[in-house]
Amino acid sequence: MNEQPEHDWLDRKLQEAVPYIEDDGFTARVLQQLPTPQRGGQFLRPLILVGMSALASALTYVLSDGGRFILVEMFKLTTIPTLWVVAFALASGMLVMAGGIFAAMSKTSQIQS
Amino acid sequence: MELTDAGLVARVLVDDDQHAFGELVRRHQSSVRGLLRQLTRGDFALADDLAQNAFVRAYKNIRSFRGEAKFSTWLYRITYNCFREDARRRKELVGINEEQWQAEHDPQTVDPGLRHDLMHALSLLPLHERSAVLLCCKNGLSHDEASRVLEIPLGTVKTNVLRGREKLKKTLAAWAQ
Repeated sequence: MNEQPEHDWLDRKLQEAVPYIEDDGFTARVLQQLPTPQRGGQFLRPLILVGMSALASALTYVLSDGGRFILVEMFKLTTIPTLWVVAFALASGMLVMAGGIFAAMSKTSQIQS
Repeated sequence: MELTDAGLVARVLVDDDQHAFGELVRRHQSSVRGLLRQLTRGDFALADDLAQNAFVRAYKNIRSFRGEAKFSTWLYRITYNCFREDARRRKELVGINEEQWQAEHDPQTVDPGLRHDLMHALSLLPLHERSAVLLCCKNGLSHDEASRVLEIPLGTVKTNVLRGREKLKKTLAAWAQ
């Protein structure tokens, strides 16, 4: 029956027996041993991304006969009935709004937990 | 406003901010060094070397911290792995440095005799019971967290804590009265 107070006593004594250990330069020694941050890599990353995107765009332009498919698709768009365009815009709006509400709700429950 | 551990980790991840990591070291150095001092049975120099290795390893692997557990639990796991690897390499652990123990402790809070007996009783526990007792009773981890740190089943942690506590209680029975 008196198991819990005995546990509490033991836990308390264990915690008290090893008091706070002063830093005494420990943190500084750890920081000296850390590898230096690789700043070069951080600058390179956006350059590589932009370069790859430009290359991919150029390749697409060349391989698609000067982007002819864009003109074709644009022409097709003009032939779609107006009602379809309105329905598509409404559906897109609803989809985005539902996604936003879902994200907000999951974020709120995360913060509350 | 003081940043949480998770906030500091985010700074390290996004900006490679070593000052933020320094703050994490400052916050947790005492508990990590304290745990290692007891795991190594009072070898302060070895404990500090292992603590430094643990923090450097934590920095290098910080991308593997997913925030599912507390930062301290993740750090204890790295710390315990560092200790285990070193113990395996050495195959033996050094004895208690009693004088250093006593020099560091505040005589106002715990009776020196009790402290001596407690540390001695702890050092006599087998490693698996000592680790479980230290993490759960001294460092305040839950059984579940300790099971993740020690990489052993939850039931084993509970058994080890129970057995370790029983042995400590038996050894310190005179002090508890």
